Amino acid sequence: MRLLFDLSPADKAAFEAASAGERILYCLPFDCRHDKRVDGRMVFTDKAIYKVIDAEVEARWDFSELSDFSVEVLYGCGAFFAKVNGNTTRLCRFISGRNLTRYSVIVEACNRITGGDTEHTVVSDAPERYCPKCGRPFIVNTHICPYCQSKRESYRKLWAMTKGLRLMMMVPLITAFIGMAITFVVPILQRTLIDDYIQNSNFDAKENWFLHFFLIVAAIVGFDMLSKVISMVQGRIAAVAGNRFTRFLRTLLFEKIQLLSMSSVQKKSTGDLMGRINNDVAVVQNFITNLLPTYFAQLLSFFLGLVLILSMSPVMSAFVFVPIPFVVWAIYLFRHMMRRLNIKQWMKGNRTNRTLQDILSGIRVVKAYGREEAAIEEFTDCTNQQAHQNEHTAKVFDTVFPLLGFALRFGSYLIMWYGNVMLFYGAMTVGELNQFNTYASIIYNPLMQITLIPRNISAFATSFGKILEILEEEPDVADARKPEHFKFKGDVSVQNVTFGYESATPVLRNVSVEVKAGEMIGIVGHSGCGKSTLINLIMRMYDPTDGVIEIDGVNIKDISQQSLRSQMGVVLQETHLFSGSVRDNIKYAKPYATDAEVIRAARAANAHDFIMRLPEGYNTIVGEKGYSLSGGERQRIAIARALIHDPSILILDEATAALDTETEKLIQDAIDKMTDNRTTFAIAHRLSTLRNADKILVIDHGRIAEFGTHKELLDQRGIYFKLVMAQTRAALEKG
Amino acid sequence: MANATETKKVLDDSDITDLFEHRVSLDLTPENARFTRSGGGLISLEVTQPSGKVEFFERIVPIRAFPISSPETFIAIREPDSQMGGRGAEIGMIETLDIFPEEVSRMIRDELEHRYFTPAIQKIHSFREKFGYCYWDVTTTAGRVEFIMNNPGSNIRTLEDGRVFMYDIDGNCFTIENPAALDKHSYKKVEIYL
Repeated sequence: MRLLFDLSPADKAAFEAASAGERILYCLPFDCRHDKRVDGRMVFTDKAIYKVIDAEVEARWDFSELSDFSVEVLYGCGAFFAKVNGNTTRLCRFISGRNLTRYSVIVEACNRITGGDTEHTVVSDAPERYCPKCGRPFIVNTHICPYCQSKRESYRKLWAMTKGLRLMMMVPLITAFIGMAITFVVPILQRTLIDDYIQNSNFDAKENWFLHFFLIVAAIVGFDMLSKVISMVQGRIAAVAGNRFTRFLRTLLFEKIQLLSMSSVQKKSTGDLMGRINNDVAVVQNFITNLLPTYFAQLLSFFLGLVLILSMSPVMSAFVFVPIPFVVWAIYLFRHMMRRLNIKQWMKGNRTNRTLQDILSGIRVVKAYGREEAAIEEFTDCTNQQAHQNEHTAKVFDTVFPLLGFALRFGSYLIMWYGNVMLFYGAMTVGELNQFNTYASIIYNPLMQITLIPRNISAFATSFGKILEILEEEPDVADARKPEHFKFKGDVSVQNVTFGYESATPVLRNVSVEVKAGEMIGIVGHSGCGKSTLINLIMRMYDPTDGVIEIDGVNIKDISQQSLRSQMGVVLQETHLFSGSVRDNIKYAKPYATDAEVIRAARAANAHDFIMRLPEGYNTIVGEKGYSLSGGERQRIAIARALIHDPSILILDEATAALDTETEKLIQDAIDKMTDNRTTFAIAHRLSTLRNADKILVIDHGRIAEFGTHKELLDQRGIYFKLVMAQTRAALEKG
Repeated sequence: MANATETKKVLDDSDITDLFEHRVSLDLTPENARFTRSGGGLISLEVTQPSGKVEFFERIVPIRAFPISSPETFIAIREPDSQMGGRGAEIGMIETLDIFPEEVSRMIRDELEHRYFTPAIQKIHSFREKFGYCYWDVTTTAGRVEFIMNNPGSNIRTLEDGRVFMYDIDGNCFTIENPAALDKHSYKKVEIYL
């Protein structure tokens, strides 16, 4: 990430005049002042901070008078604070999304400078998020600027994706050629038929009159059949190519989404990702395998038709083109309107879907509060608006397009008139006129299509952009070059770990813990203090911003993620069971587990008993559409799932928080059994869950507040002591 | 409910209180709250608790409870968030700034304006779509700005009163106070999303 921005020459001069040749360590933009956006610079030297704007040094603070640097996230902007001689002062403001991370790094840098270390400048290895060329943001987790990236580059990538399908994509083109040849030949045959045989019925004028007549008719029929066969073949091949491309692209996308880290997947909604895999792929596929070849074929037939009619009669060809300028002009006028109508229609449809999903998934709440009427009203409003919009769009389109079609074909009336005049004077035969008319109609088709091309291309580009966005994303939690695989003993060492999701305000700060294999660590603290974050880091759902996490002395970044996760068992508060049988769900982490192993895991999780009471035992279908299990039952299945692959490290993230006391007892027993000889991290609000923990880790505001055995911490009379007292008292009062 | 009261009772005594204690938010009035400029140009507050205890805060932060629907009412006065992500506690709430003397309300409004930076769009120069991203070039109350938005369908929000909020790719917010008052060209560019 860039921390040394350029100063404009004027600003530089001002800065140099004000400073005594001080070395610039960092230079950041500040782009917000009062209610205006500005272009200023904060210059950090080894002695002071200079606020430079409009060729003037607006303020200078000596590091000797500064302390307590901090960054605050405001709304639409952020601010950089420090204490100046003990008074908190806002040094500058900046546009939040852009510079927040930079200033958070600078806080660290300033602390280093005031600490006397001006030699080791802070270097941020966080990736730069903004394009150095245009300053616009890159696509998340990539180095691709959607603005600067040339279209050619995108299309090159698309071309690479069509590998293996190109031959098939050529098929529509080839068949289009053949089809066209036929369309051009048939009118010639028709002309001969009309002029030489139908109009001129002199049987004796030619030898073998009937034979010739028959041959010509047969040829026309034959060509017609051939063109049908060709379009049949083309349709079949296009279907195969289209499906293969869809399958290929969907798989590619899905694989990529699976590889992406939690942090980047969490930024996108499930609906959005589903939309990309389903709809956007369909749009791209349709464009690539259907529309694109068709456009080429149409273009070709347009030019061929043009040459043919021109060679037949330049004058009549001109008639074909008379209405075209008007039509093009009209299309140009309507273009924006059509686009607007389309987007509006899409947005109304979208709104209906959203409302529907929202209300249906919250149906329990709707019923609980008796708000059915309001729900019906809201939905009716959506569908009404959508229906009105659709009606309006359809009306406009069904008025505009027939009119345009009529205007476009207006030329053919001129041709008819002129052709008839020519016929009258004998300058043209009926067959020739028919041939010309047929060719002219070949031209009209591509012309009408032109109106749709821009819309299709823009729809394609949007969808393709969304797909590329995912495909190009570099997973931010990636395996090392040569990842290690080994059987864990279970020693976990967290060393000076700092981590923040958006890195502006660290969730964890300088956390260090040593855990020996087989120990059970209870993690305690307020909600939002960083407990789950610590566990996410140990599971390597994210990489720490700073610091190292080791398992058995090996940095987890060097361990293959597959190996890492396969030796961890996780039970979360929210249990997700996949659609499938109880057996499938327990086997999830170890697909080749035997039935005996499944039963053993279920027994260990105290789940066997209730599973046996289910109508179909281990084969009972659970999950969204299956048998409804209680929270405690689901939880025990999750515990069985975590146990089946005999993990060396076990993680329990508030696994018992939502359960009643009796169920908790059952689960507690299960947990007691499973935590033997495994390194266990257990987050719990109910401290009773942690009674067997070897050590308790108390996290407070992202720092480790206390760490030791239950007894040690009680003796310390710190946070843990207070928590225990509070819970005991509450329990006593209740009891 | 019963549980909550009981628990509270338990927590009210002895040394466990400070762990769970949340400051009771006061209705701030000119009688119990004295706002002054701090040494660093920010706002300090001296507050008199109902118990008569006087507390001084070197720096307080005003935050709007309804920044979008009614930015002028219900302004919380909080301690600043500490750098550790510790959330500053609420000292009190001002229902309306008008009850305070002009200079105090101006000081707080000024600070609010520093916190909520939502330039209002006055003119839309251009709007282009490329590969699913929208590029806007607009004149706002904060000057000329170019910003990028993805997925305009979900990042442009029209309120019931007709105001429009637009969020760019960095999460910054722009408003259109009255879309109908925009010039024809500008309006046409944004109209489809309203």
